[in-house]
Amino acid sequence: MVEPAPERRMLARMAAGDGDALRELYDVHARAVYSLAVRILRSQSDAEDVVQEVFAQAWRNAARYDATRGTVAGWLLMQAKSRSIDRLRARRARPEQADDEAPKEVADSSAGPEIQIVRADQASRVRQALDALPLLQRTALELAYYEGLTHVEIAEHLEQPLGTIKTRIRQGLLKLREALSAAELLGTKRVETSE
Amino acid sequence: MSADVNDHEIWRERAAIYALDALTGEERREFETHMQTCLECAAELLTLRPAADALAQTVPQLDPRPELRDRVMAAVIGTALGDRRAPARAATPAPASAPRAESATSAPTRWLALAATLLLAIGLGVYANGLRGRVSRLESELDQARAQSAALQARVGRTESTLASAQTQLNSAQSQLAVFAAPDSRRVAMAAQKGAPDGVVGRADWSPSRGLALSVSNLPAPLPMRDYQVWLLTGGGPVSAGLLPKEAVDGRTVVFNAPAGSPAPVGFALSEEPEGGVPQPGSRIYLVGMIARAQ
Repeated sequence: MVEPAPERRMLARMAAGDGDALRELYDVHARAVYSLAVRILRSQSDAEDVVQEVFAQAWRNAARYDATRGTVAGWLLMQAKSRSIDRLRARRARPEQADDEAPKEVADSSAGPEIQIVRADQASRVRQALDALPLLQRTALELAYYEGLTHVEIAEHLEQPLGTIKTRIRQGLLKLREALSAAELLGTKRVETSE
Repeated sequence: MSADVNDHEIWRERAAIYALDALTGEERREFETHMQTCLECAAELLTLRPAADALAQTVPQLDPRPELRDRVMAAVIGTALGDRRAPARAATPAPASAPRAESATSAPTRWLALAATLLLAIGLGVYANGLRGRVSRLESELDQARAQSAALQARVGRTESTLASAQTQLNSAQSQLAVFAAPDSRRVAMAAQKGAPDGVVGRADWSPSRGLALSVSNLPAPLPMRDYQVWLLTGGGPVSAGLLPKEAVDGRTVVFNAPAGSPAPVGFALSEEPEGGVPQPGSRIYLVGMIARAQ
């Protein structure tokens, strides 16, 4: 289970200008933010830029963080995804610029923050559900989420009828939803323990 | 009707694509407008969004270079320190370094908040303060069941009229089948009489035990204040079988029960009469068919 109360305190300290709180936030979440940015951008330097932007924004907007809208992890990852996709689209608009070096893979179990940002069993269930999807469903979801393509672009990319893609996206997402528990879906984990 | 259900299937598909931020701009705006009045879609999005967001957790986990931490701290705190020392400016709006990104993410978040508000409005108080631990989990699971039940009820409501209409058709088909399948069933062609509308034809299937199944084609809708009346022609004179339903002029088969106690008919007729029918047919007899004598 995520422990939102300490995270909320972290954000409150950041809002008050406490740099140590930002360091703590970074230590807990930088790995997930960086990993998502790498997955989307496939570039170490671009992903590092995204990490910097995400934490800069967290620092600026700490006072506006709204715990009822999701976990801190979710908030940061949403920013990471959005900024990465924006960069990806900008890069596509300049196709002559080649991707830079691929990031060096670091083993999952290597040294790193011990604090989990998501429950490992939840991530693992979603991962398994994703792996179990039929290829077309999975590819459609990945093109939408990691490549930032619209369903129209996905249909063109996969040379499939638009109706097929719409249906596959929904079917795939429904299966991922099944992998999450009712409590996770309805946001019980968002309910904060009072301080 | 079914068109409604189909329309809503489209919205449900859009909810999934919206959850992945993969709608085109116009579709996204349409869906956001729709969601303001459709609790079902708002609830759908509320549960699909975490499924989409969970994709962020499935990527291979990589450690950033240790130098990145210092770089981020220097860039963020180093440049912002002057600002952030003043508590009054804690909520200073972000510089416009990436306005697109901010606007891109704020809209879905806003809609999620709206969806949550809508759910609260009908008593799905999963966000209520004080819900935690086991009680919280149980209640949210109960609430999800309620939401699913409400969604199902809404769908049932939409399909109820379709169902009722289907049931009527089924009943009708069953009684027709009963006539057609009866061992004593006889088929009678009904011929147009002088003065009948052009092209009118009819067919009667008669079973003494199950009744009369009548089908007429090319009959114009009855004039105002008029009805078509169906007759059993018996040795004792015509006996009314009833009025032809006003919509049954297009080949649809209508089943009439044989009037209780009437003598065995030798034929059937259809006439045009004053609205509500009359005890004996008038002069406008349009269709007549006689039962062939049994061999």
